[in-house]
Amino acid sequence: MGNLVSFDHATLGYGRRVILSDLTFAIPEGDFLGMVGPNGAGKTTILRAILRTLKPISGTVTHALGIRFGYVPQRDQVDYNFPLNVIDVVMMGRYDRIGLGRRPGVNDRKLACASLDHVGILDLADQPLSALSGGQKQRTLIARALVGQPNVLVLDEPTNGMDLVSTTQILGLVRELHERDKLTVLMVSHALNEVANYVERIALVVNGGFRIGTVDEIMTESVLSDMYRIPVEVANLDGHRIVVARRDGQIVPVADV
Amino acid sequence: MFDAVLLFKDALYGALVIGLVCSVLGVYVVLRRIVFVGAALAELSSAGIALALWLAGRGWMLGIATHPIALALILTIAGVLFFGAGGGRGRIPPDATIGVTYAVAAAMGIILISKAKTGEAHDIFLQGNILGITRGDTMVLLAVAIPVLLVHTLFYKEFLFVSFDRETARTLGYRVNFWNLLLYFTLGLVIAFAMQFAGVMLVFNFLVLPAVTGLLISPSMAGTFFWSIVSALLAAVIGFSLSVPFDLPSGPAIIAVSGALALMAFLVRLAQRR
Repeated sequence: MGNLVSFDHATLGYGRRVILSDLTFAIPEGDFLGMVGPNGAGKTTILRAILRTLKPISGTVTHALGIRFGYVPQRDQVDYNFPLNVIDVVMMGRYDRIGLGRRPGVNDRKLACASLDHVGILDLADQPLSALSGGQKQRTLIARALVGQPNVLVLDEPTNGMDLVSTTQILGLVRELHERDKLTVLMVSHALNEVANYVERIALVVNGGFRIGTVDEIMTESVLSDMYRIPVEVANLDGHRIVVARRDGQIVPVADV
Repeated sequence: MFDAVLLFKDALYGALVIGLVCSVLGVYVVLRRIVFVGAALAELSSAGIALALWLAGRGWMLGIATHPIALALILTIAGVLFFGAGGGRGRIPPDATIGVTYAVAAAMGIILISKAKTGEAHDIFLQGNILGITRGDTMVLLAVAIPVLLVHTLFYKEFLFVSFDRETARTLGYRVNFWNLLLYFTLGLVIAFAMQFAGVMLVFNFLVLPAVTGLLISPSMAGTFFWSIVSALLAAVIGFSLSVPFDLPSGPAIIAVSGALALMAFLVRLAQRR
């Protein structure tokens, strides 16, 4: 399987301000990659380069021919004051396929319904978006990303601000989409403990550094302690990894480091 | 009462055209939370008119370039380019930049008009003079309103998408900056022309109150546009019809009716929730 996105010694930033330099890695077809790091570490910058909305300052970022992203933004990037039903929002994922100046047709509505069915909220199709719970809103945005039939599903902080039940359900849905539909998935999050038990590979973006590998390669005390620059312990609970850091003798969740 | 209204029917048609086009654009103005960009653009437009009158008073006429509409357009489009390109991003919060523009433009307008030779007579020009709209003025307004409404009908989904979720639109290849600028440009164009006849207060009213009424009544975008247009047209007709026989100022009368309609929509919504 080929690479969908390849970074070759890419330096990323805005104007002259360098955020991350000399990045070399690839996202192969079928990958399930979690990009993890604290807020402000540069995850969004890498994400923009992947989504082709940011050009590298130097080096190259190459995309496979015909690649199509299904992007799920952070929930607070969307304006819930707009009087839109769930189906209206999902159809937006087809707007670029419909073409300039044309309206969605019957087929677009059918595809949007199928996409809603796929994520388990077809019954909410005619509900106002603003009336949904956080988890339902996230499913709507995932359905919108899927309706465009993407090669890569990209989710930006999909569980931010969600309770434990909704978080588990959304991460379970994303894993299901990867396994059932063989969809390449890139999930960006600041919560290492959440992501590590769902994805197959992890890209750590911490303190200006970048490291990528399988979950087994990254989730080690030496790698995490080195990246976070703080003593880190990786505990195992029924096959699930839980990362804790110690600061001044106290346990601190890695997400808060 | 209707005889009196019929005497000013061209003025009523003009007010209806302004109400129609502003109530459509107003839905974006309210939803995108750029209400005060609309106000700042209206003040820039009025400053342009004042500048033209001041230049004319000093005998510095440069043909079409110093015509009130031309200068109103130039200043408004400058504002459009500034705000449409995300003016104010950086150290100064965007709403502060809008406030500065509003205050400075309003002050410049007042200073220039006070120093224009025909000064006070033109106050009414800045405040608007709905009753003075002629058939020719209505044609000019239609010549602006029809293309603007066509653009908004044709590219509805593009304007909606970049307004609702610009990041996702960008990932799907939309030129977000272009669509934002086009939206602001149509807004600036309408404000610059409507300002000549309706004044800051009435244009601002038509950009905000009908859209608020629409949002209060309808849970869908189509319904919001529909009720925004209906409430603007109703306010224009009722306000105008009341102002002529009762000798009320037309602009404030239309605004008062707009406010009453918005209040009724709010009360209906409140009753539905209980």
